[in-house]
Amino acid sequence: MKASPYLVLALVLTVCFTLATGIEPRASTWSDRAKSNNVFSMLFGDGRRLFANQFFTMADVYFHSGYYPSVFDLREEGQKEIVAESHGHTDSPEDEIKEDFLGKPKDWIDRFGRHFRITKHTHLESGNEREILPWLRLAADMDPQKIETYTVGSFFMRTHLNRPREAEAFLREGLRNNPGSYEILSELGRLYDENDHDTGRARDVWQLALHKWAKNPEAVKDDKLAFEEITVHLAQLERGAGNWPQAIHWFQAAQKVAPDPNALQQRIDEIKKTMAAQTNAPAAVPH
Amino acid sequence: MSIILKTEKLRVEFTSHEFRQTTKIALDSLDLEVNTGEVFGFLGPNGAGKTTAINVLLGFVPPTRGAAYLFGIDVRQPIARQRIGYLPEMTYYYKFLTAEELLRFYARIFGLPRTEADKRIDQLLKLVELEPARKRPIKSYSKGMQQRVGLAQALINNPDLLILDEPTSGLDPLGRMQVREIIQRLKNEGKTVFFSSHELGEVETVCDRVAIINQGELKASGRVSDLVAQHHGNLEKAFLDIIGYQTQSAS
Amino acid sequence: MNTIWALAGVVIKELYRRKDFYVLFVLTALITIAAGMVNFFNDPKIVRYVKDICMLLIWVSALLIAIVTTARQIPAERESRTIFPLLAKPVTRWQFILGKFLGCWLATGMALLVFYVFFAIITGSREQYWPWLTYLQAIWLQWAMLAVVIALSLCGSIISAAPSSTTTICFIAVAGILLVGGHLNTVALHQAQPLQTIFYTIYFLIPHLEWFDIRDRVVYDWGLLNWLDCVRATLYAAAYTGLFLLLTWLGFRRKSLNT
Repeated sequence: MKASPYLVLALVLTVCFTLATGIEPRASTWSDRAKSNNVFSMLFGDGRRLFANQFFTMADVYFHSGYYPSVFDLREEGQKEIVAESHGHTDSPEDEIKEDFLGKPKDWIDRFGRHFRITKHTHLESGNEREILPWLRLAADMDPQKIETYTVGSFFMRTHLNRPREAEAFLREGLRNNPGSYEILSELGRLYDENDHDTGRARDVWQLALHKWAKNPEAVKDDKLAFEEITVHLAQLERGAGNWPQAIHWFQAAQKVAPDPNALQQRIDEIKKTMAAQTNAPAAVPH
Repeated sequence: MSIILKTEKLRVEFTSHEFRQTTKIALDSLDLEVNTGEVFGFLGPNGAGKTTAINVLLGFVPPTRGAAYLFGIDVRQPIARQRIGYLPEMTYYYKFLTAEELLRFYARIFGLPRTEADKRIDQLLKLVELEPARKRPIKSYSKGMQQRVGLAQALINNPDLLILDEPTSGLDPLGRMQVREIIQRLKNEGKTVFFSSHELGEVETVCDRVAIINQGELKASGRVSDLVAQHHGNLEKAFLDIIGYQTQSAS
Repeated sequence: MNTIWALAGVVIKELYRRKDFYVLFVLTALITIAAGMVNFFNDPKIVRYVKDICMLLIWVSALLIAIVTTARQIPAERESRTIFPLLAKPVTRWQFILGKFLGCWLATGMALLVFYVFFAIITGSREQYWPWLTYLQAIWLQWAMLAVVIALSLCGSIISAAPSSTTTICFIAVAGILLVGGHLNTVALHQAQPLQTIFYTIYFLIPHLEWFDIRDRVVYDWGLLNWLDCVRATLYAAAYTGLFLLLTWLGFRRKSLNT
């Protein structure tokens, strides 16, 4: 008996379809990778985190217009490290470049080769900072738990590129991926305070940041700088709003961890003076 | 009648570097002379040294000893090859070119002016009956068509001496007859043809003189009719006698 | 010279009739266009990453075209036996090598031109800015570097008959020089003898192809390179090209070609 090839084809297709409907519900529980809507997550799985640092470094390379030390230059000893432009966000090695990492030319090949290389330390400006954003976006996709990516990206978007809404969306994405991050909340508070001038929201967010900080034992032990930063922001916010006792309260809280408590004491004294002046002012009015 | 091709005490040794160093003598004291205007058959069993001798004549292999001359010029000089045409045994020409482009490329190598090259290409494509396929890429050609395009390239410079290495090898009877006809036509035009072959029938048909070599040594040379007469039979019998092959019936 | 041009013409025809170039060009174009269409934080002015990706693809594609095309030239001539009717004509082996070199170099240059025109259109359409002279310097220096790479590949194809092994070795050598070549002196400083001497010797012997990579200057808009330095780099590339071609000829001139 000779079966028609079309009949065989139809049979095979039926078998395929039956198998697919039977296996699909089980297969969907085998791995999350295929379900991911992130192409990098689908391709590399958790291995994608390896690339995140590289992309974060690329953002730094772009910020310096290509002037950046290679792994070979970093091996050179006795060179001075500088922080590129941490803006108080981070002092991680990715953000650092070594100034004058090129040193003096070692030989004629090195000397002539420098004509073709970028040998000048510069920073992007006049809106060109936008060029670092793709790499930060990629770094965030590769490692959603890398918090500096969100804070640095947001900082440039809201301070240099006048894009507070995109900055806020990026920070909120960071918060979704890192719900306990007091650093992202701190940056979000700055956005509401400095860009939106929304004192109430800024206050709420910073207070939540402090709450998260306090619940994180590692942060309480090692990241006192973050506590100082948030409390000082809160103190300045309250001072600006005329809530003097609140302002003094936050400055005094910051004093407990600040490396230079005297500077904060000066501000407390200034507030107290203003308070006293306000209290005495009606008495000075002649009857 | 002048000598157009000559070898003198030609010796070629090949040294193998694999496993143990061994030396093989491919040609030993080969003396050949081919005169202007004759069709010369170069015969020998497989591995006799025919292709090696042709390789020396074309400068592909340097002789270990002795010398070879074309038109009286040492073959090591490229200019010795200015007036020759060569058809190798089975060549797959640049597949991405058409027959016309291939011939134009070789014409440029000989420095033929454009108009002359065009004329010559038309003539040759007609001669080898590839006119209808001139614009088709060579990769679409049959084996016989490839051999004929090879013959056309060998004739592009209107050579005085044509060296053909097994020109009918791998061709069907019709293809073999076409090649034979072309050789005959070239002979009538006064060209000198030097060709190696296994096909004794076609050698007997078209050659004036032959040389027979075996194991790198020249065993016999002379007019076809003289050799046939000496060995009381046809060229095949003469050939087998000369290389020392004993048929079963004879033994 | 006519012979050399004729030989070069065949190589050029081979490149544009084979599919390698088109595949690489389409791949480069697709990746660049796809990368350019990604929206980063609703800012359409972001352009440098597109330039960077496109330039990287151009560099990889050009190296592939140059090495793969060159590495197969002589082995393919021998395998298909076209070398025999060719060298049976009044063609010297030096002319043969020069013809092959010139063909590969011109063919790669034509491919490079197509790639750079695409690059200029894509980046120019985004930033409305065409620094032609910078592009000219970039393409020229890259082409000069490819001359060295092609001569090196030709030399490799004389030593190794298999195009695949020649391609792999040349690609590793060129990538190694581009990535590490300029830092070998730094690496040597941290080595004990005799490694230090070995590293320094390699450093002073290899052609410094990394000089010709001025992608960063194009991507980050650093402006024009000093023209005199361009001329010096060109002379440097010409010297190394000549050296490799000479080595190729020395290896090929007495080589027995058995049919």
